Amino acid sequence: MNSQTNLKVVLVLITVVALFSIGFKIQPILENYDDFSPNTVYKVNYNYFFKSADKNTAVKSFIPKSNLRQRISEQKSISDSTLYFTKQISENGNVKGIWKTKKKNTYHTLNYEFVFEGKEKTYMIPRDFGEISEKYKKYLKPSENIQSNDRIISDLANVLKQNTSNDKEIINKIFDHVKAIPSAPIITLTDAITTINQNRASCNGKSRLFVALARNLGYAARVKGGIILENTNKRTSHVWAEVLINKTWVPFDALNNHFAFLPANYLEIYKGDEFLITHTPGIQFDYAYQIDQVNHISFLKMNAKEVRELSNISLWSIVEKGVMPQNALNLLLLLPIGGLLVAFLRNVVGVKTFGVFLPVLIAFSLMHTGFVSGTILFVVLILLVGLVSYPFDKIGLLYTPKLVISLSIMVGLMIMATVIGIQYNIAWLTMLTFFPTIILTIAAERFSRATVEDGYKIAIDKLFQTLLATAVCYWLLSWPWLPSILIIFPECILLIIAIAMLLGRYIGIRWTEFYRFRPLFV
Amino acid sequence: MIPMFSKILDMKSPKESNVVGLNERNINLIYPNNNKKHYPLADDKVLTKEILHQYDIPCAETYAVVAYNSDIKKVWEECKHYKALAIKPARGSGGGGIKIIKKDDQGNWTSSGKVAEERQIFQHMAAIIMGFFSLGSHDRVLIEECIEPDPFFNRIYPAGVPDFRIITLDQTPLMGMLRMPTDRSDGKANLHQNGVGIGVDMKKGSLTQVYDGKNYFDYHPDSKFVVKGKPIPYWKEILKISIATAKAFPLNYLGIDIVIDKNKGPQIMEINVRPGLGIQLVNKQGLKETILNKNDFR
Repeated sequence: MNSQTNLKVVLVLITVVALFSIGFKIQPILENYDDFSPNTVYKVNYNYFFKSADKNTAVKSFIPKSNLRQRISEQKSISDSTLYFTKQISENGNVKGIWKTKKKNTYHTLNYEFVFEGKEKTYMIPRDFGEISEKYKKYLKPSENIQSNDRIISDLANVLKQNTSNDKEIINKIFDHVKAIPSAPIITLTDAITTINQNRASCNGKSRLFVALARNLGYAARVKGGIILENTNKRTSHVWAEVLINKTWVPFDALNNHFAFLPANYLEIYKGDEFLITHTPGIQFDYAYQIDQVNHISFLKMNAKEVRELSNISLWSIVEKGVMPQNALNLLLLLPIGGLLVAFLRNVVGVKTFGVFLPVLIAFSLMHTGFVSGTILFVVLILLVGLVSYPFDKIGLLYTPKLVISLSIMVGLMIMATVIGIQYNIAWLTMLTFFPTIILTIAAERFSRATVEDGYKIAIDKLFQTLLATAVCYWLLSWPWLPSILIIFPECILLIIAIAMLLGRYIGIRWTEFYRFRPLFV
Repeated sequence: MIPMFSKILDMKSPKESNVVGLNERNINLIYPNNNKKHYPLADDKVLTKEILHQYDIPCAETYAVVAYNSDIKKVWEECKHYKALAIKPARGSGGGGIKIIKKDDQGNWTSSGKVAEERQIFQHMAAIIMGFFSLGSHDRVLIEECIEPDPFFNRIYPAGVPDFRIITLDQTPLMGMLRMPTDRSDGKANLHQNGVGIGVDMKKGSLTQVYDGKNYFDYHPDSKFVVKGKPIPYWKEILKISIATAKAFPLNYLGIDIVIDKNKGPQIMEINVRPGLGIQLVNKQGLKETILNKNDFR
């Protein structure tokens, strides 16, 4: 047997083993395909403790329901047998859990548990909004704590309205004004006018002011209540505002700067200016929300146990046991895929890049910094370091010491930019430390050498090709399903080896060579 | 739109065009024919010349090799009686670090028309030894006789040192080109340094078209001297020493660089284990075709 046949045998063997193993899992996974695809999953538990009074005692709490961006499942109410649990749906669609007991002067514990799966959602806002139908007119009326027809609110609303030309700009002005009010952890109820007067507020004051201003200017608006889910136990709930824009309730959280956007970990519980918990007055009462993040595979309708039972060959146990941080695991798994993509770009397409795997590593950095600002930072760094190290090239220094100088310049630039970024509160400037410093330095060094040896035109061209390869890597690697697929199907790594072997024996003309040798093709 | 579309349709397939791309060159030509352990024989000019001398293949006479800084002065005393010298890094690439020095009428050394102090020459040799021209690794200085190009080249373009590149596979010359400097290339003859390539008709031993990286001409673009059809002096000799060189080295796919000295005729300058593919463009011919017909050349 010659090496060619050996290669083929190995190739076929690897592929067959990998596909065989994948085949075992593919059927149950296709059956459990979930088109909801949540970004985050949490298990939430309301823990309420109270001592019942001398009469019939009741504890009421709003409970969440599913909608287009959140899915609530596995709801369970656990409490002692003397508590009687009922659900009540109010006319505006809120669902209330009611726990009643006739037993007097006794201590009770009740738990209401459910699983939350959430997606983040961004809303597009038109410049001008449509008419509000009769059904929603009630969302224009003032209430006790949302004094939307008060003169103070009117005055402020009229100031904000000035120099605006469409509805979107008005909402923007209101949002910016409320956002700029200093926030303070005020637990007591703050109404809209108090928020203006004391010029500081927590979420509830800000939301009421936002709603009051919106209503005053003729936009149907309401308060929305829920909990920001984090992997911890907490006692704080949260409220934000919603504006009715062409039949859609669009969220605005001026406290946390979410404009027409709801993050994946926002649990929506009720609408309207209400209290999350109410109970019979005068009883001893305490509460906590127990929140635990649940590992999940975004496109699967399976819980952790079902995924575990899927197959022994998966990395799910690493995720579950928390052997390593999920981010680190994802990064590790994505590296070979990124590498394969670069190999394809170099050997099949014929893209020339500074540094073999530089595009993959830069693509990872871009996931932290954001694509546009990250790309600009990357180019500026390469150009600056290339420019600064140019005189050292001219002096004629040995390679390694010269590299140390470039590295020092790179580190200096990064520290300087970070300091300036923090000083003047420019977020994107503080992102520099996400870049792989040493590899970036070597790339800058190659760039400056290329300008000397091949001329700046070829060097810029190569930099452009590096950016192109980075963009392609970013596009593939930022696909949210990819890490999950690799966790369930680690066999993909074997397939990558097989594909890389094929690529390694590829003798076809590179796409860019069609251009280079074009006189020979016509 | 439609003419462009038809242009694409009219394109030859890679098979028809016989072009060898980088992937195919690496996998089918370099890997199976050139064993990595023999690369130093080509990458180090001192080693290359040792073998050439051993087989009596004509090449520039080696005056001295300097391996240590402490030897520079001693070697210089032995060499300074020559009228002209070429100082080269043994493992330089792309012509970097090559210094040609000549004595003028007053007996001063000059380099590129300027007077060169002995101190500057020593510094240059020290830089070569420190590896400045060979990516950080220790290197040796090769001091050899200076080639005077044959008057044939003066008529085409009167500056720099033009050289022939002959590609050989299994000791058979496949394709050749003549590389000439231009006004824009600063005396260098490399294609990617703005030199021009001139195709070679291997059977007739004559020059064909001139290629400057974009367009084809029948003449040198600066001097306008028509080269198409001009017979190459010493062509038989060039083929002979190419084959002899290919046989002397345990490397079966080579790019051999040859210059023609006005007194001594064709001389081997250096050999390459990874010869570039631009030669196909210069000759308007794919390498695959020549490989298929290679027995015709024997």
